[in-house]
Amino acid sequence: MALRPERAHAGLATEQIKTTVDKALVVLKDPQLKPLAKLRERRDQLKQILFARFDFTEMAKRSLGANWRRRSPQEQDEFVRLFTDVLERAYADIIESYSDEKIIYLNERIDGGFADVNSKITTAKGEEYSINYKAHFVGSEWKVYDVIAENISLVNNYRAQFNRVISNASYEELVRRLKDKSQFAGAPKK
Amino acid sequence: MIVGLFVLIGVACLGYLAIKLGKLEVFGASGYTVYADFPSVAGLKVGDPVEIAGVKIGRVDSMGLTEDRARLVLRLTDGVKLQEDVIASVRARGLIGDKFVLITPGASEKIIAPGGRIRETDSPPDIPDLIGKIVGGDLTSKGTSKSDTKDEPQK
Repeated sequence: MALRPERAHAGLATEQIKTTVDKALVVLKDPQLKPLAKLRERRDQLKQILFARFDFTEMAKRSLGANWRRRSPQEQDEFVRLFTDVLERAYADIIESYSDEKIIYLNERIDGGFADVNSKITTAKGEEYSINYKAHFVGSEWKVYDVIAENISLVNNYRAQFNRVISNASYEELVRRLKDKSQFAGAPKK
Repeated sequence: MIVGLFVLIGVACLGYLAIKLGKLEVFGASGYTVYADFPSVAGLKVGDPVEIAGVKIGRVDSMGLTEDRARLVLRLTDGVKLQEDVIASVRARGLIGDKFVLITPGASEKIIAPGGRIRETDSPPDIPDLIGKIVGGDLTSKGTSKSDTKDEPQK
């Protein structure tokens, strides 16, 4: 922690998240990247932008919950890779289906090294959805470790799912299922 | 003189019973407290249990408002350690059962100190709200998005 979060000015978390989202929107709106042939390139660009702001290691760690500490560092590394991969495949379509939704940033709550940024998405039809980002302060930046869409926390959701698989079967089974998911992501879910 | 003494002992015993049975705490409660802020704790009452994996580890000590959020003070049994990234969620047993606070253990090495705060919280899903989403359409499903026509895995 190079910079104490208290010294970072208010609104910095919102600002940094907004910058990242805006950058992603520029890529999404870019007509040159719209054709199917450019899909790969566009996805790579989005990935770069989002990886800079989202802390996938923390996200994976929190999603695994208490089981994280029982795994060896190698297993943890492997899990983070798998988790990121599955997450990417699960959300790429949703992110890429963006179509002129408006995003409004409402407020942020800072508590020590943690921030809670609330935003609202309004669709073209006028429906509103809340998206909250949870971020922690690393170095001189806020890094997002959880996204709460409509009061459903991504981390909490995955923690419940992963724990269920681990307690019903085993950690190895969870890894196997995640591998399946990242391999056959093109096929419809069973 | 002696009779007065016995009466006093009797009264003390009654008082003790009343406190025990009524679960009142006069002599300072055991355990330690942590607090957590929720967007909503609808249906939860003071005294409701706090559980990890179905095991009671404490109870709701008090609840109040902080800004526009509900603040719960949870009294936990000594010896129960909560990691910094535990998630506290208000759950119901069955569809309309009693409410309780479920704690899912976290991965962090840091432990929440007495008087500390559970940062990650989760509110019970609001059923009418969910129905509204289904009727009105949902952003996270494919129903309203452009990729309707694409043949992709549903998430």
